[in-house]
Amino acid sequence: MRNKAVFLPIFIFLIVLISACAPTKIAKKDAFPEMYNERPLSILVLPPINVTTAADAKEYYLTTIAEPISYAGYYIFPIEVTSDILKSVGLFDTEIVSELHLQKFKEFFGADAVLFVKIVKWDTNYAVLAGNVTVGVECVLKSTTTSKNLWQYDGIVVVDTTSRSSGGGLFGLVVNVVATAIATAKTDYVPIARRVNYLVIRSMPYGKYHPGFNIDRDVEILPRKIRTHK
Amino acid sequence: MKTVISLLAVFVFTLLAGCITPHNRPTYIWQNYSSSLYNLKKTPTDTNLKNHKELLLNIIEESKKENCRVPPGVYCEYGYLLLKDGQKEEALRYFDLEEQTYPESKIFIKNLKAYATKNTNKNDAAKIDDGKQIEENKGNDNKPGKTEGN
Repeated sequence: MRNKAVFLPIFIFLIVLISACAPTKIAKKDAFPEMYNERPLSILVLPPINVTTAADAKEYYLTTIAEPISYAGYYIFPIEVTSDILKSVGLFDTEIVSELHLQKFKEFFGADAVLFVKIVKWDTNYAVLAGNVTVGVECVLKSTTTSKNLWQYDGIVVVDTTSRSSGGGLFGLVVNVVATAIATAKTDYVPIARRVNYLVIRSMPYGKYHPGFNIDRDVEILPRKIRTHK
Repeated sequence: MKTVISLLAVFVFTLLAGCITPHNRPTYIWQNYSSSLYNLKKTPTDTNLKNHKELLLNIIEESKKENCRVPPGVYCEYGYLLLKDGQKEEALRYFDLEEQTYPESKIFIKNLKAYATKNTNKNDAAKIDDGKQIEENKGNDNKPGKTEGN
């Protein structure tokens, strides 16, 4: 009888613990089994496919991707160098990259995998009283050996630039409208792109240089399609 | 009773441990690489190029000092900028360092060096031909030290 009285609260405690971890998550090994089958060590980042109207998004985005991939434990080829080479052979527009090219990336760069990034959002929404700046990407990592998709994920970060600072009344309203306009226009895309990258690459199974290499199979991640707002 | 409780405690800890994902990661010193490169892309001036080169060198030195692996690509990128500047020997030395630090770069560095030996200057002559050879084009006499226009 005494035992029961002890066990009950402990079991409730356990259930609370478990439920805090559980919902809607999936283990990395179930989400990206091919990644664990092939174990790529090196990643070549291709110039992104840009479907937004911002012409400079491609070049700017490329300045943000090396760090997060290195922190995930992969060897990433120096983008400044590989982009120049790809430009010189007319492959800076990766819309035209096919499976035939994948084989060439393996031969020329020795890359185990190639990262395709599609920039889907790189824009400012401004509507007098409210404003925001949005960056969104879709990433696919393809094997250069089997052409299979090893990993894919996407993410969008929306940064709210609406000003709500000053007091009420008509004057306060005008101040806010001006402040929102300025904040929206001044917000830089690149720091937002960095946040998107961290959000997305967090789901990638770790590579050779990460201490978690090979032991992260059961680490749980959220299924694709994340949106964060701030 | 005590053993039961301690067993349960172990169980709880195991559960907890299962929930906490390891947040350690490789230690790299990137400093403000991304911002520096972004500045260079946004306003490709000689000053910004110089700043970026200094930053790369700084990353290399700091990493050595802190006993960290130099981040992937940094040796190579620095060497590449030296190559554009016409400092071929120095450039090759940094390409070698990249390969020594990251054996994954072996094939790439081999091809890059072949290119560097053929073209002492500038970067617009690389060509992937059937995925194997980098062939030279023309333009050996381009001015060094310029960045690509965006």
